[in-house]
Amino acid sequence: MSWKVCFLAPLLLLLMAPLAEAESGKALIENSAGFNDKAVTFGGEVIGVVVRGDFAWVNVLDNGVAIGVWCRAEEARKVSIIGDYKHVGDAVEVVGTFHMACPEHGGDLDIHADNFTVVAAGRELDRSPSLLLVGLSVAFVAAAIFVAFSLRRIRKEKEKIVPWPFQ
Amino acid sequence: MKVIGFNLCKFGNIIGALLLVPIIVAVFYKEFDIIPHFLIASSATFILCNVGIHFLRTTKEMELKHALCFAALTWIFCMLLAAIPFWSTGSTGSYLDANFDAMSGFTTTGLSLVRDIDHLPYSINFYRHFLQFVGGVGIIVFSLTILARSEMSSVLAFKGEARELGIRPSIVRTSRIILGIAITFMVLGAVLFTAVGISEGAGVGTSIFDGVNYSMAAYSTGGFAPHSQNMLFYHSTPYEVVALAIFLIGSFNFTFHYAVLGGKRREIFKNIEIRTMFITLTLSTLVISGLLLFSNVYSSSAMLFRKAFFQAASAHTTTGFGTVHPAQIPSLWGSAVMFIMSLIMVLGACANSTGGGIKAIRVGVIAKSFFREIKKALMPKTAWVTEKFHHIETTPLTDTIARGAMLIAVGYIFLFAVGTTVTVLHGYNTSDSMYETASAVGNVGLSSGITSPAMPALLKVTYIFLMWAGRLEIMAVLALMGFAILGLRRGIKK
Amino acid sequence: MGLRKFSLREFLKKNFDFITGILSEVGLTALIMGVALAICLLLVFIKSVF
Repeated sequence: MSWKVCFLAPLLLLLMAPLAEAESGKALIENSAGFNDKAVTFGGEVIGVVVRGDFAWVNVLDNGVAIGVWCRAEEARKVSIIGDYKHVGDAVEVVGTFHMACPEHGGDLDIHADNFTVVAAGRELDRSPSLLLVGLSVAFVAAAIFVAFSLRRIRKEKEKIVPWPFQ
Repeated sequence: MKVIGFNLCKFGNIIGALLLVPIIVAVFYKEFDIIPHFLIASSATFILCNVGIHFLRTTKEMELKHALCFAALTWIFCMLLAAIPFWSTGSTGSYLDANFDAMSGFTTTGLSLVRDIDHLPYSINFYRHFLQFVGGVGIIVFSLTILARSEMSSVLAFKGEARELGIRPSIVRTSRIILGIAITFMVLGAVLFTAVGISEGAGVGTSIFDGVNYSMAAYSTGGFAPHSQNMLFYHSTPYEVVALAIFLIGSFNFTFHYAVLGGKRREIFKNIEIRTMFITLTLSTLVISGLLLFSNVYSSSAMLFRKAFFQAASAHTTTGFGTVHPAQIPSLWGSAVMFIMSLIMVLGACANSTGGGIKAIRVGVIAKSFFREIKKALMPKTAWVTEKFHHIETTPLTDTIARGAMLIAVGYIFLFAVGTTVTVLHGYNTSDSMYETASAVGNVGLSSGITSPAMPALLKVTYIFLMWAGRLEIMAVLALMGFAILGLRRGIKK
Repeated sequence: MGLRKFSLREFLKKNFDFITGILSEVGLTALIMGVALAICLLLVFIKSVF
């Protein structure tokens, strides 16, 4: 009996193991035909949420490639921060079916999520202005105004001596 | 040289003023760290241009040869100035990449080397689309007032003027009308995009920001988008339909707009460009859809409309909006479809529009010339064969017009051949190279994946040149080269 | 104060050509899209038959 357990247990564990590690966005796009209609795990940063009734599109960015994930609206509502200039969006992991040209969504490349998890919350980024740059911009603006007025004065003085257009 | 330099510096002040516009967006989105970048770029431009105006001041008026060189140099000058905010904010990796995006913006191409569009500052993102709108309006002004005066161009001049004006007065007068029409359609597009965006489930703020930007890019047939997914961000047919309407309108000839908006609605059915584009777009849609359907890439009419037709229309109008990931084009669509897409990209939109390419009027004129020659061959030698075409008014198809059209077409094909060769020599395959080159020369913006920050520097410079030369319909570039060679000769003789 | 009352009817009358022109151009794009859609439907029909 014990040899059966030794043989079967690892096999059972293998079958119960979660899917292979997440596919990258790049791999999914470049080999879209190979992944078509297959179950995939995909993870990345949320950069957009578009709610459509009971469902929603969550656009997830992974290393420069963004893919639309179709999931239930209540799943999408778990997303608290959407990535933009001042924020890193929530990191999510999606397990679902990949479509290279989804028949339900007019041929879009998408993932229909079976499982949608917010893995890590997003955060705000520090984008405070640099004092050096502020100082430099003030200096440049002052210089531009000074140059404009100086040249205008020179031109007006020249016109008093030799009127334009006879210069 | 002095008259060109003086006018360049005067024009540069306009760029200096335009660099201040994104500050409004930066203030609204509280991007106070970005404002100094625009202030520095704008101030530096004003300083440079005002000093230039002071030392190059002249009363001499521009002749056509000066105007052509001025137009060619303006694009380079504007590119160098407009690139500053992209580079200083770190939106692009290098100053060369920044110049690439600035040229792509002004020439309404749409190819981009910006890093991480989805995390760009809102003000920089707005700036990209604003450059395309300004560039689109600018090219119409240029082609109507300068290019149309050259016999070779065969692009018929704007007949809205009661009398033949000098170049500068007609630029000012015509610009106002062009800007009025552009703003009308841009506002219409922004309202429609915003309304559809909100109804499709995007937030109000996102919809408004995206609506304004997509509208500027659509009317100018530019192709920049505020998201890396381009049109796919919304996954929405109504959104794509609005985009189609606006960029198709943007691809029409300005003189056509002027006629139709002035009451001449029959022009819609009689105009040679509208007819030519209708035929070529319909044929290309048929072929592309057929290939994609029968190779089982797409299976329904909805898919074919949203993917095949949208991409074909985007390519033909030289817009560059995408509903398919660029990397899927070579792997999924295949080289046959890519070849047809390359062809229609080079054919291009209507003349005197924001679009690029050879232009529909030349394609129509060349086609009619062929038919005329065939007729001549079939008729007795003593027969007098004439052909005419309708563009606002009916015009006889003369040998001069036909020759001009063919010369420009040959020029484009030459640029296309050079660009493809250079790309292939960098190790890319022929199909992808042709697609990418057609996109650059025709100022389209669709990519097979070649355009990226990792692209070799020489290829970036090549594509900047192709976008520039394609935008100016080669002629102004040749005029500039002629000027430079003459100048060199005089210098050597002295 | 001498401000004229805004009359929609007068505005439409004055800008009749402009407004109908815009509608015509939008109609032209709708025609182009309609033809494209018809082509797509026809192709799918042909494939289903053969």
